[in-house]
Parts: sequence; structure tokens; C-alpha cells
Amino acid sequence: MSASYFISQLVNGLRLGSVYAIVAVGYSIVYGILRLINFAHGDIMTIGVYVMLMLMTTIGMPLWAVVIVSVVVSVFAGVLIERLAYRPLRSANEEATLISSLAVSTLLQNLLQMIFSPQKRAFHLPEFFSVRHDIFGIQLSTMNIMTFVAVAVIVIALTFVVQKTKIGTAMRACSENLDAARLMGINPNKVIVFAFAVGSGLAALAGLMLAGEYKTIDPLMGFVPGLKAFCAAVVGGIGSLYGAVLGGLVIGVAEMLFAGLMPTSVTAYRDAFVFVVLILVLLVRPNGLLGQSEGGRS
Amino acid sequence: MKNVKRLLALVLALAMVLTLCACGPKEDKGNDKQEENNTTGDTIKVGAMFNITGGQASLDEPSYRGFKLYFDEVNKAGGINGRQIEVVSYDGKTDQTVCANNTSKLIDVDKVVAISGLSDSNYAFAAGNVAQQSGVPFVFSGATTPTLNDIGDQVFLTAFGDDICAYAAADYLTEELNITKVYMLVDQSMDFTTTLARCFQERLEKNGGEVVLTDNYMNKDPDFSAQIDRYLADNKGAEAIFLSSVPDDVGVITKQFRDRGVTDLMISGDGADTPLLYEVAGEAATGFLVSTHCSFENEDPAVQDFVKLYTETQGTAPENAFAALGYDAAHIIATAIEMCGDDVTPANVRDNLEAIQNLRLVTGTVSYSAGNHIPQKSATIITVADDGSFKFVKEIG
Amino acid sequence: MESKRLRDCSLFRLAVFVVLPVLIVVAMCGRGNYYSAMVCTFAINVLLAASLNLVNGFSGMFSMGHAAFMAVGAYISAFLTLSPTQKASMLPGLPQWLTNIQIPLLPALLVAGIAAAFVAVLIGIPVLRFKGHYLSVATLGLIVIVRAVLDNSDSVTNGPRGITGLPNLATPTLIFAVLMVSLFIMYRLIRSSYGRGLIAMRDDDVAAQSLGINLTSKKISIFCISAFFAGVAGAMWGHNQTVISGQFFYFNMSFKVVQISIIGGMASLSGAAVGALFMTFVPELLAPLESGFNLFGMAIPSLYGISNIIMAVFLILVIIFRRQGLLGSSELLLESWFSGSTYTSLFKKSEYQELAAAIRGKFNRKQT
Repeated sequence: MSASYFISQLVNGLRLGSVYAIVAVGYSIVYGILRLINFAHGDIMTIGVYVMLMLMTTIGMPLWAVVIVSVVVSVFAGVLIERLAYRPLRSANEEATLISSLAVSTLLQNLLQMIFSPQKRAFHLPEFFSVRHDIFGIQLSTMNIMTFVAVAVIVIALTFVVQKTKIGTAMRACSENLDAARLMGINPNKVIVFAFAVGSGLAALAGLMLAGEYKTIDPLMGFVPGLKAFCAAVVGGIGSLYGAVLGGLVIGVAEMLFAGLMPTSVTAYRDAFVFVVLILVLLVRPNGLLGQSEGGRS
Repeated sequence: MKNVKRLLALVLALAMVLTLCACGPKEDKGNDKQEENNTTGDTIKVGAMFNITGGQASLDEPSYRGFKLYFDEVNKAGGINGRQIEVVSYDGKTDQTVCANNTSKLIDVDKVVAISGLSDSNYAFAAGNVAQQSGVPFVFSGATTPTLNDIGDQVFLTAFGDDICAYAAADYLTEELNITKVYMLVDQSMDFTTTLARCFQERLEKNGGEVVLTDNYMNKDPDFSAQIDRYLADNKGAEAIFLSSVPDDVGVITKQFRDRGVTDLMISGDGADTPLLYEVAGEAATGFLVSTHCSFENEDPAVQDFVKLYTETQGTAPENAFAALGYDAAHIIATAIEMCGDDVTPANVRDNLEAIQNLRLVTGTVSYSAGNHIPQKSATIITVADDGSFKFVKEIG
Repeated sequence: MESKRLRDCSLFRLAVFVVLPVLIVVAMCGRGNYYSAMVCTFAINVLLAASLNLVNGFSGMFSMGHAAFMAVGAYISAFLTLSPTQKASMLPGLPQWLTNIQIPLLPALLVAGIAAAFVAVLIGIPVLRFKGHYLSVATLGLIVIVRAVLDNSDSVTNGPRGITGLPNLATPTLIFAVLMVSLFIMYRLIRSSYGRGLIAMRDDDVAAQSLGINLTSKKISIFCISAFFAGVAGAMWGHNQTVISGQFFYFNMSFKVVQISIIGGMASLSGAAVGALFMTFVPELLAPLESGFNLFGMAIPSLYGISNIIMAVFLILVIIFRRQGLLGSSELLLESWFSGSTYTSLFKKSEYQELAAAIRGKFNRKQT
């Protein structure tokens, strides 16, 4: 095995990992505050992608407008779901909200299957996105590069929001202790709606990256990335944005290196391997890669 | 608290009673109707057991529409032997328990004379066993595992077994193209794909060829770059690529291989001939070979009539070969019912299914015999032309 | 004297919680395959959810990996009950001694449960120190790992083609017998000092520890017991379906069990029964909506998926109005089933008087 082969597989891992990372960041924003295993997150992503597909194929809007509309629709969907299915359960235990999110996920998947048929659909972005560039001998498409850039931009922007703005400070407070934040005069509902809005908007962007890269979409496409985002968020450390990105990258790289470097007789174990890695990481760092001890919250 | 508990007890009791009530009268009705049905009544009930929602839906939903379409046409034309056909359908929800229980429901409650459905062999085994025990014939629309025949004398396959399709692909490569070294990419999580791969390898080796490298992925993986890099680094002299994948994945895989500059011949098994292949992969799909049941480009009027009918009634062209298989499964059942004359019972339908000889269908010609309920159809090799349509290459077997 | 509430009267319990369900079950089993199949599905769901409740409801951990234990149980029991010829052709990789043995279902269930429990120890020792969602991720991982092994060990598990032609030994009688015995064992377990220790651990692990409860051994042992029953349930499910394959024991299966468990009430074994009742039969009641029908002469077109959607809305509504699940932490059902007084009350005159008083009391309360 040559070094260049290893590097190309590593880059494959980073590419896949950065897609997971975008999903995971959106996931983590809500997750950090509510500790809600939000199975519907991936499905909001699917909604966003279908909105894009519909706008592109039926109206033929320019891409930037398509993305904006899709993000707006996803934000509305996310906030609506929060209002109807999660807010009534605010003071309930985590398990009750988990059921609610599973149910929302089933509901959305079935709705999408009913409206758009269960068939996979082709999803094409303009040719510009799939042009391949040769960077130090590594082939990357425009979409790949944009995904890397998007991860960086999103992380920087969110860091700014969380550290410097009022709502960001409120988010951090809620994330640390929801009740204490309420006591301090923060309106948790406002913060949570904001978190859902940001998370859902990011989900739509992540959907764009995912669909643009793999060129097919279907009503159930959100489930696996949603689940991986949950894993990434947990492994990275609950409530840590950087942790979510790191978790996503770890999952992507572990997956690709295993698939690329191991003999083909065992590569089918790659999903299993990813989870073994996750369990090992948690054994070494029980609060995730970048997580802090949970203290009062369990 | 007290109220709540009382409410609960009430709900509990009510739910149980309701279930019983809801089921009860229906069954009586079913009983009455059955007597009518099977002797002098107007309608004959046929069961449809498809996974219309969930992960299997992309295969089963077109099948169901094809199935329903056939009987709609039959009814419009006056039914079979003057009697209308009622299609009773339940959604299997891509849940094995639901599939098995609903098959029971079709048999026990609705008293259907025959059932059809299911594209995945795992689900087909569960439902087929139920039908076998109750003595009602089950015609699988899309399932292709040859061992399904072992369930018993009540099950029939519409499609050919995986072996025929895989053998045709292997034969075509070795005999027509003189290719002996093949790389195989297998979806390691599906029964259909692993069976296909095993049969392909068997035949290829028998023909003097060799699978030089087998790589795999799990269903729902969208990214194949690790496999592609491995292939590019050392393909061990492979001259062709055999994809053992579900139809949905073929386009994505082809696109990614071609984008990375792999120009070797690519071939795949039945079902891969969906419009999605060209929609997703575009020009990259050109020259892609598929060994399959039928080609919608086939000039045969049976095929062209079906494509036209489906497109007109469903508002979309047949999504994939499973639409045609559902239509054909209905055709098979209708033929058997017609042969029964006035005495339509599950046992009679079964006997007449077994007696079907040389029935011309959209996906080929079907004959059954006692002991072998897998049709010996020929497989067709088709390829993707420059304009994205499928072109007939060769009929094998 | 204040009269007893109706539901506290042993006779009332006997009639409503014991006799009525038994009658319904017997009646349904006698009606045909479909009804008995539904009843069997229900019973297996009860066992699955009840065993999950041991971990999730009574000991404060949150596992989502039940499907993995079901799979282990189902495969082990398949290895033991298939005929040697079937095994030789389908599973050539099995060791010779395993190929040759064929045992009846009941001992096979036991072995299946033990095997699942063994896997639970293996996975439990490293992961049970994780808390909260960290544990959930690890148990999700267990499902993925088990599925990968099942799909890839072709010669032993027949790969994704699965094992077919399992003997259909799981009759309704056997399933209900196993269910009742299992529920009884679980019920006694949570009412024992061991079970109280569990609940203490759930409510406040630090305090429990200070009282001398060994958290690690408690966690591992209850995880094991839960896996044992999951394995038994998985084995019965396999024999009921006659075919098993890795794809059936995946996320969907696990999530369904988690849903049943939460909707019925995680902290109650009786809740498992109520949850299973809800999740098994309500979709069946909704099924007629899908295939299209005539409503007052108006043809409603078929709309597949609508029952799933209505079911999802139901679930959200139920959990909003009953956050602790339908039964909360009440053990109303099991108390009635497993206490002798329910059955001896038939022969006690005072019980009849109490029942009469309770009915009168209820009537009077309504009046005022």
C-alpha cells in the first residue's frame, strides 16, 4: 500500500466526514439544549431537499433562490414541529420527547412517500459543482471543496453567534442548565425556537451537500445521516459544536479507512467497525471527545 | 390519579372489545361472501400483499400498481367468466410481522382465492409460509431467490430465479465478449444481491473465468469512493465490473466510477434497467449492460401495450421492471382463475396455476410444472444507448 | 365506612383483568389463523417491552439495542431446532456437533435466552459504565455490530438470505405460557429486595450507592436478565415467523419495542401489556382506512401510508396527555394476575359485599 493510496482514502474519509459534520452541527444545536434524540432531524433535511428538487425541476429558479426558499421552508417545518410535538412535552422526561420525535419522523417519512412516491429521484446541480479539480494529486469536485468550506464557515459563524450575541449567550446558559437559565430571566422557549430554526436551516444545507454529492434523493434518505449525526454529537461530547464536527469527521474517516485499507473479505464490517471505534472512544473519554462532565444533568 | 386509572381500565377493555367487534362482523361477512363467491356470486377476491410504505416501497409500490392495473382492465372488459375481480390489498409496511399477519388476514378474513406480492425474498418466505399452511396459492411478483420453491406447492414465482439472470450475465461476458477477469461489487446486506453474486461467480468460474476481486458495501451507503480508490489502485487485471446491487444504487455507483475515470465495461442484474440509471448517471451510463427480465424498448406489442397503458393510467412511465412483474403476476392469477371456470377455489386456482403453459407475458413466457414453480424464462441483455434509452442486445437462455 | 374503589375489589379485577382478557384471547385464537397470529404478535411484543422496561424503566439506563438480543436468541434457537439435514444444506459452517443436535423448542428457548444474556454480559461490562445517551449510542452500535456479523458470516448464518424453514413450533398456547411465566418472574423480581435496589439506583444512584448497593453488578445483572427475556422473545418470534434474517433485527424492530415500552409506561411491567395492545391492534383497526371505501356514497380513494400517519399523530397525542405512558408506574394488571386474593375472592362472601358496596358507592358519587 502506497502513501498516496492512504492519503486518498483519508481524503475520502474527510469528505464523507464533513458531510456528516454539517448534519451533526445542526443536530447538536438542538441536542445541546434539549438533550432530545431528534429522529426527525434527518427528515427535515429530506424536506429541504425535496423543496429544492421541486423548485428546480418545476419552476426552474436560480440555485441561490432555491437554496434560500428551501432553508426558509425547513426552518418553518422545524419550528412548527417544535411547537406542536416537542413544546407540549417541555417538562416531561427525555423518553416522552423521544417517542414524539420518532413519531414525527414516521409521519414525515410517510407523508413524503405519499406526496413524492417512494421512488428515488435524480438530483442534479449545475455542472459547475461536479467539475473535478486536481489539488496536490487529489481529485476533488467543487462540491467537495464547498462542503469543506461550508463546515468551516458554519463553525466560525456559530462560534460567533454563541460567544458574542445575546441569544447565543442565552443558548449557552440553557445548554448548561435550563432551569437556572429560566430563573435568570431567559425565556427558554425563545432560545429553543431559535435553536430549532438554526438547526433546521443547517439541515437543509446539509441536504444540499448530500444530495449534490450523491445525486439521488428518496423520502427515507434522512434517517441514516440523522442517526449518524446523533452518534457524532454524542461522541464529540454532548452540547459541543466543535465536538459534533470532530465526531462527524471521526465517523467518516473511520468508515472510509476501514473500507479502503482492510482486505475486502472484512470490509463489509465497516458500519460495525465505526461503532466499535465509537465505543472505544467513549471508554477512553466517557463524556465524549470534547465534552465536559455533565454535572447536574444526566 | 383515580380518574386516570379508571380511564385506563376502560381504554384497555374498550380496545380489546373494539378489536373483537371490528374483526368479528367482518369475518361473518367474509364467510357469507365466501360462499357466494366461490359458487355463484359475482365477485372473486384476489389478495395483494405488497410493502407499499417503508424501505421496500420503491420496488413494491410499482408492482402493486401494475397488479391493480391488470385487474382494473379485466373488470372494465367484463371480468373473468362474467365475474368481477375484487383486489383486496393490505400494506406490509416493510415489516415482516405485518406481512405475515396480513397474509393470514387475506386468507382468513377476506377469503381470497390467491395472493400476490413481495419483491424481497426474506419477506416472501414469511408470507409464503403462511399461505402454504393455509393452502392458498401465493404468486410472488418480484422475489427471485430460487430456494423459495422449497416453501411448498402453493407458491409460484413470476420472475425467473436469480440464477438465470446471473448465468446470462456471466455467459454473455465469457462467450460474447471473451472477458474472463471480473471485478464484483456486492451489496452485502440484501439476500437478492448476495444470491445474484454467488450465482454469477459460480457460472463465471465454470466458464473458465475468474472473479479477481470482490468488494462490498452495505445497503444505503451513498459513498463508494473507498471501493473506487481500491479498484483504481489495483484492479488485478479486471476487464469488467459486475454490480450486484439493488436497482436504486446502480446509477449512483456507475456515476461515481465513471467520474473517477474508470472506463471498464459495467454490467448488472435484473431490475437495474430503471430510468433512474440514466437520470442519475447521465452520459456515464452509456454502454452499461443489464441482464434482466424484459426491456421496455422491446418491440413486442405485449411490452409496448403495457408501457402505454401504464403511462396513461398511472401518469408516469413504468418506474422499473417490478411494475411489469406486478402486472404479470396479475395476468398469471387471472389466467388460472379463468381456467377454473365457475368453480373458483384456492385449491382449483393452485392446480390451474400449475397447469399454465407458455403464457405470454410482458416479462417473457411462463410455464409451470408440478414441482417447479419458477418460470424458466430467458434473460435479456440490454444496454444503455447514447440517448439514454435501453437497447436490446441479446436474448440468452 | 368508606367503600372500596371498584378497581380495588378483587372480584372486579378478576372479572375485568383476568376473565375478560382470557375469554378474548381464547375467542380470538379459535377464530382462525389471522386472529391467533395477531394474539401471538401481541404476546411477543408484551414480552419484549416488559423485558426492556427492566432496564429502561426500573434501572434508569436507556438501551435501544433490544433487537440485537432478539437476533441472538432467534439464531441460537434456530441452530438448535432445525433438522440436521436443513442445517447441513443451509448452514455448512456450523460445527459438526451443533449440526447433529436437534432439541425441542422449550429447552431451545432457554438456551437462546442464556446466549442472549451472555452477549449482554460481554457488551455490558464495557458499555454499562456509560451514562444516558452515551449508553444509547453504544446499544445502537450493538444492533449494527450484530447485524454485520449475521450478514457476513455466510456459512454459519446463511448471510442476508437468512435462515428459512424454521419449524413453526410457537403455538399461541406455548407463547402465552412462556409470557405468563416470564412476566411472573419479572414481577417477583422487581418486588424483591433486588428490584427495590434497582429502583433506588434509578431514582438516585449516589444515595443507593451509599446504602451499599453495588451499582455495577446491579446494572450488568439486570441488563443480562432483560437480554435473557429478549432472547426468548426473539426465538419465539422466529419460530412464529418461520424465517429470520439480519435485516429484521435492525433499527425498526428496536425502535418499535422502545415505542411500545414508553407508550405503555416504562416503569411498569403492566404498561408493556397496555403499550403492546395499543401498538399491535390500533394499526390493524386503522388498516381499513387505507384501501379506500365508500362513505355515504362518496368513494374515498386508497391512500397507503395514512394509517402510519394517523398512528404517529396518536402516539404524539397520547404521550402529550400521558407523559409517563398509558399506565405510568401502576402495576394494576400484574397485581391482579399474580396475587392469590384475586382468585380466592370468588369463594369469599365479603368480597361480594365489597363489590356491591363499591358499585353502590360509584353510583352514589355519580348522583351527587
